[in-house]
Amino acid sequence: MKTVVFENVSKIYRTRYYQVSALKDINLEIRRGEFIAIMGPSGSGKSTMLNLIGCLDRPTEGEIYIKGTPISGLRDDELTDLRRNTIGFVFQQFNLIPTLSALENIELPMIFRGTDSGERRKRARKLLEIVGLEDVADRKPVEMSGGQQQRVAIARALANSPEILLCDEPTGNLDSKTGEQVMEILAGLRDEGVTVVLVTHDESLRRYAERVVRLRDGRIVDVSAVSS
Amino acid sequence: MYLQLALRNLSRTRVRSALAVIGIIIGVTAITSIGIFGENLKKTVMESFGDIANEVIVLPNSQEGFSFIDERTVELIRKSPYPAAVIPVKADSFEMTYKNQKRFVTVYGLDERGVNELFDVAEGTSDLKPGKTIVGSQIAESLDLRIGSRITVDGKVYRVSGILEEQGARFDIRPDNAIIISERDHKADIFAVIVKLENLGDIEGFKSYVQATINIKDKKVEILEMKSILDRIEEAFGQINLFLMAIAGVSLLVAGVSILNIMLMSTIERTKEIGIMRAIGAQKPDILKIFLMEAGILGISGSTVGSILSIAGGYFVTKLIIGEVSEILSMETVLFAVEGFVFGVGTAVISGLYPAWRAANLEPIEALRYE
Ligand SMILES: Nc1ncnc2c1ncn2[C@@H]1O[C@H](COP(=O)(O)OP(=O)(O)OP(=O)(O)O)[C@@H](O)[C@H]1O
Ligand SMILES: [Mg+2]
Repeated sequence: MKTVVFENVSKIYRTRYYQVSALKDINLEIRRGEFIAIMGPSGSGKSTMLNLIGCLDRPTEGEIYIKGTPISGLRDDELTDLRRNTIGFVFQQFNLIPTLSALENIELPMIFRGTDSGERRKRARKLLEIVGLEDVADRKPVEMSGGQQQRVAIARALANSPEILLCDEPTGNLDSKTGEQVMEILAGLRDEGVTVVLVTHDESLRRYAERVVRLRDGRIVDVSAVSS
Repeated sequence: MYLQLALRNLSRTRVRSALAVIGIIIGVTAITSIGIFGENLKKTVMESFGDIANEVIVLPNSQEGFSFIDERTVELIRKSPYPAAVIPVKADSFEMTYKNQKRFVTVYGLDERGVNELFDVAEGTSDLKPGKTIVGSQIAESLDLRIGSRITVDGKVYRVSGILEEQGARFDIRPDNAIIISERDHKADIFAVIVKLENLGDIEGFKSYVQATINIKDKKVEILEMKSILDRIEEAFGQINLFLMAIAGVSLLVAGVSILNIMLMSTIERTKEIGIMRAIGAQKPDILKIFLMEAGILGISGSTVGSILSIAGGYFVTKLIIGEVSEILSMETVLFAVEGFVFGVGTAVISGLYPAWRAANLEPIEALRYE
């Protein structure tokens, strides 16, 4: 089964003075449970692609199917439901809510889903344990290191048990050792059947992926399986 | 949890939030204490009219050429089925002399019962046998009249049997600068009949009785209702009060604008956060709720303090201007405090509406990209 399908997708950013073709005629299928890496030079359209999968943005042309559903016909609230229930985001800048503690940040997606508080607490604690951060539960983001913040962000992304995890340079702001810790967590998720889409510059991360998609100027120039 | 989120966001910009709350406090206190003061003022004025609300005055209809009320009409009024004190009043003005001092005064002709119904006697008795007179407080003072003084009115001598207390505001008879003699000594015609109904609810009934018995052929009499006059005065006070409150409301408006301002700043500063929340599954109404809650908290805390302060404020302003306050926590005072509270919270929430709406409708991707 195909979790994500791109069908002749183009994305054009129009501003008042110029327009940019960020993606041109992309066709791609991502299988369920696959760990796929999207690589390419800066400005090649990696983030654009990830945002489209994440239903944060809509394609200018073509269609994207998430679990078989074409997203072009969905309303804002339906896209939000899809993001909340099916997709998890991990960003390069961690993007935790500064006023909330680690535990509360992890609870937030469950609050938006309407999970009751007891269950929420329990799951948040369990997720903290999975990312190895039981002891920072009550700390605010500013009181944590980058690696800790990113692990909290991963725990938050997993709160509603997403089927697809989208990571935009998750190790970009981390040193190589903490980066590796984060990658190990992501690899573990793949083993549990989560589809992971990883955007990265870092060639050394290729080894975690099953397939690598290479972009250049908004086009896929290569799709290759990684032999491990 | 949303509440917690809202509270923490407010405490993040503590000074700003405090200023907004102070604005609301000032606004709410201003309108509420003015409202309370106005209400107390109205009450004081209405109290000075005493209990004349149940009075109906029957006057000759001068437009139809009637200049006095005849005995038969008085008889008909006495026969009305509504229990009431019926007081025919005669009036004229005459020259009066006392110890070589001359005055022109209004002379009322009443009977003893009428005097007792309408006035309180300060000194002496309400004895109004022929040859006796009861004098108003002002004239007694200016002419130095005593009980037993002899005064000459229109060539006849009367002996003062009583001096009235200073009377409050009335519309029919102003006795302070007048004298009262027996209606039997008074040669003028009856110019008015004061009817003090026992039951306030009988006013309409009495009016239709008069229409049906006295005003059948000609419109002989007109009826002046004290109650409708008092109602109109009360209404006028209410309107003045509303006007004053509206002026004070400007300060609440300013507070509203300041909330609008800080909320807008807050939505801009938190654009990225809003984007994050939208990305991880917050619906538009969730965002709306968080921001409205912040405005609501500012409104509720400011309005609570404001309405409590204004009960004290209303008390002091009233005390300062009127001099006395019957009760601090009357029904009306509490009502105004509640009203002020509702206005305060309403202003805050309405001011928060636009920023919250803006925050909720940010494009998730644009918000997320915002630095
Ligand atoms: N909101 C936008 N408005 C206009 N142009 C945009 C916008 N977002 C992206 N672009 C343009 O689209 C192209 C692709 O951008 P994208 O962010 O997808 O690149 P990227 O591969 O993620 O680069 P990087 O590795 O630097 O993050 C770039 O030329 C970029 O300038
Ligand atoms: Mg990028």
